Amino acid sequence: MMRSLRDRLLFGMILGMMLLLLVFSVVIYTLIRRTLFQQFDNSLGLTAQMLAAAARYETYGEDIRIGFHDKIIPEFEGAQRPAYYQFWAADGRVLLRSPSLGGGDLACFRGDGDEAVFRGFRLRNGQPGRAVGLEFRPGQDKRDTGKDESNPGQQAVTLVVAQSVADLNLHLRSVRELLIIASVGTITLSFLVASFVVREGLSPFKFLAADIAAISEDDLTTRISTEPMPTEMVPVKDTLNDLLCRLQDSFSRERRFTANVAHELRTPLAGMRSTLEVTLRRIRNLDEYRFSLSDCLAIAKNMQAMMDNLLALAHLDAHEMTFERDRIHLAEMMDACWEPYLDIAVDRNIVFDNQLDRQMACESDAKGLSIVLSNLLENAAEYTEESGKVWTTGRQLDGSVEITIANTGCTLTDEQIAHVFDCFWRGDSSRTDTGVHCGLGLALVERVVKALGGSAGVELQEEGIFVVKLALPISRLSPVDRKKAEISEKTGKRKRRSKKFEKK
Amino acid sequence: MRLLIIEDYLPLQKSLAKGLREEGFAVDTTGDGKEGLWYAMSNEYDVIILDLMLPGIDGLRILEEFRSKGRQNHVLILTAKDTLEDRVRGLDLGADDYLVKPFDFRELLARIRALVRRGYQEKNPSVEIEDLRIELATQRIWRGEEEIQLTAREYALLEYLAMRAGQTVSRMDIWEHVYEFNSTASSNVVDVYIGYLRKKIERPGGGELIHTIRGRGYMLGTQI
Repeated sequence: MMRSLRDRLLFGMILGMMLLLLVFSVVIYTLIRRTLFQQFDNSLGLTAQMLAAAARYETYGEDIRIGFHDKIIPEFEGAQRPAYYQFWAADGRVLLRSPSLGGGDLACFRGDGDEAVFRGFRLRNGQPGRAVGLEFRPGQDKRDTGKDESNPGQQAVTLVVAQSVADLNLHLRSVRELLIIASVGTITLSFLVASFVVREGLSPFKFLAADIAAISEDDLTTRISTEPMPTEMVPVKDTLNDLLCRLQDSFSRERRFTANVAHELRTPLAGMRSTLEVTLRRIRNLDEYRFSLSDCLAIAKNMQAMMDNLLALAHLDAHEMTFERDRIHLAEMMDACWEPYLDIAVDRNIVFDNQLDRQMACESDAKGLSIVLSNLLENAAEYTEESGKVWTTGRQLDGSVEITIANTGCTLTDEQIAHVFDCFWRGDSSRTDTGVHCGLGLALVERVVKALGGSAGVELQEEGIFVVKLALPISRLSPVDRKKAEISEKTGKRKRRSKKFEKK
Repeated sequence: MRLLIIEDYLPLQKSLAKGLREEGFAVDTTGDGKEGLWYAMSNEYDVIILDLMLPGIDGLRILEEFRSKGRQNHVLILTAKDTLEDRVRGLDLGADDYLVKPFDFRELLARIRALVRRGYQEKNPSVEIEDLRIELATQRIWRGEEEIQLTAREYALLEYLAMRAGQTVSRMDIWEHVYEFNSTASSNVVDVYIGYLRKKIERPGGGELIHTIRGRGYMLGTQI
């Protein structure tokens, strides 16, 4: 199979040209041949008519013979290109034959009535020939009657006139050769022209390739701008530019992510290094070493928490996190998730009010949902003002449950709210709580909820009330079931659309 | 010498303050931008160590505000922001030095010492006043061939006097540059430490190195 587009185009064009020429040549040759044979037959027919008109009965007693008044045409005498004729009586008796036959016979045939019939045949010398056969009633020679008149009572005579077509075939052979030479010449010329046209036609690919080669992976802001671009290649150019856009976004996101990770690690790492270096600058007592090591351990734990979050995000993005299906009582889980933050709440006089119905349940992954609720409650405990309030509510919707976790004391703006699910985003740019809060919690919440088949959203209500809304399916479907449900939903939509269309 | 650390990451703030105090610096600390600006405007610090991402006001705004009020104290930016743009912006806004986290504590110390020397137009890391020689980098002191051992506070006092050798230094100046904001000591403690210092660096029969300028303060070496 040809891999080169140039070869394919060239091959296609030449093959097409050859087929075209072949058909053209065959048609032309056939037309010429038919015309020449028609002319030949016409001429032969005329000769036969002429002979028939010139033929007269000569009666010698009982014997009837055919005779000519006019001089015989030289071809019948055995010229260079001889012609032949032969007359037969109705009973098959040969009445007359041309001298060129030299005693031989032609095949006897005729048409119905006065109609002349043409046939091809092979002459005695092996040459191809053409013959015409006709039936007629010759007139009475006036030597017998004294007047020249046709005699309807006389017997009909069959006349066959034949002539070699060797010359005609020679002409046709010349035509054939001419057509072949012209075809070969045309194909050769076509090949040269087609090569040039294909090369020129495909040259935009070279420019496109050069443009693409000029794009460095370090700078994906460059776009393909080859001008002029053939219309057929514009979609390719647009698609490539679109791909570059997406790649640029993806690379930028990756760079930002890496920079954010590095940035988030710098401060705790600086803290750990500084603590260790200061400690090691002199000999200290045991307690001092213990305090330093405890500080470093706390920093390491916070860094590990951040790494765990990053890893969880990576697993979620790669769809590598597996979820179980458990029956979860939401109020119970909410209480359990709040427990680690009770001390903070007591210290800061924060009221927690879990208003979820005790009977409200859903089918979900306990571990995943616990990550979600813990993150949200931790944020609530952290960012609610002194003597503020955290409360949860829930309601059952069609096939899902909606849980809200709200807290007072939010200082974020509407613009900031729009970014809360972004990785490494924080309302406050400081790194006071580095490691513990590095802007990954809410990003993780959103992704886990999505992986559980639900959705998460936030809103800012009056007087600084921050509300997170989670919609979770009552019955969590397995990935296979979810796929089936999606297909069924799509099919349903399609059917509904087609019904609407039919109604219209 | 007195330093201000404005750093909101507590473990780093703690360890820096500890390490710098052990090196003889008087160190004030805060983790809040607004408070940091207030500290910087209210006291005469030899070097301010400033983080950029701070709650309240960010570090660059503190720096801008600080310089706009005509304050000349040296500022060293200590941050996790490492891009060229960040460095250029920080230095262009009036920072004297820029160090990216994580860092080697020895490098931070060296940079702080360099800024302190620059603040007193002293380029030589070894200060000599008559036969008294102070190695600023190693914090070692010699009188002639004899090495003298000083406590951290005594050294801090001597270093400050040495930086302003030949000038009269008031008790308040000394107090401001050697004692921390939260220090409970009164300015009288300066006289006590001057006494300790005299005992250690002056020799019986030899001339005075630390002169008392009545009603004005003290002077190390001869007047310039």
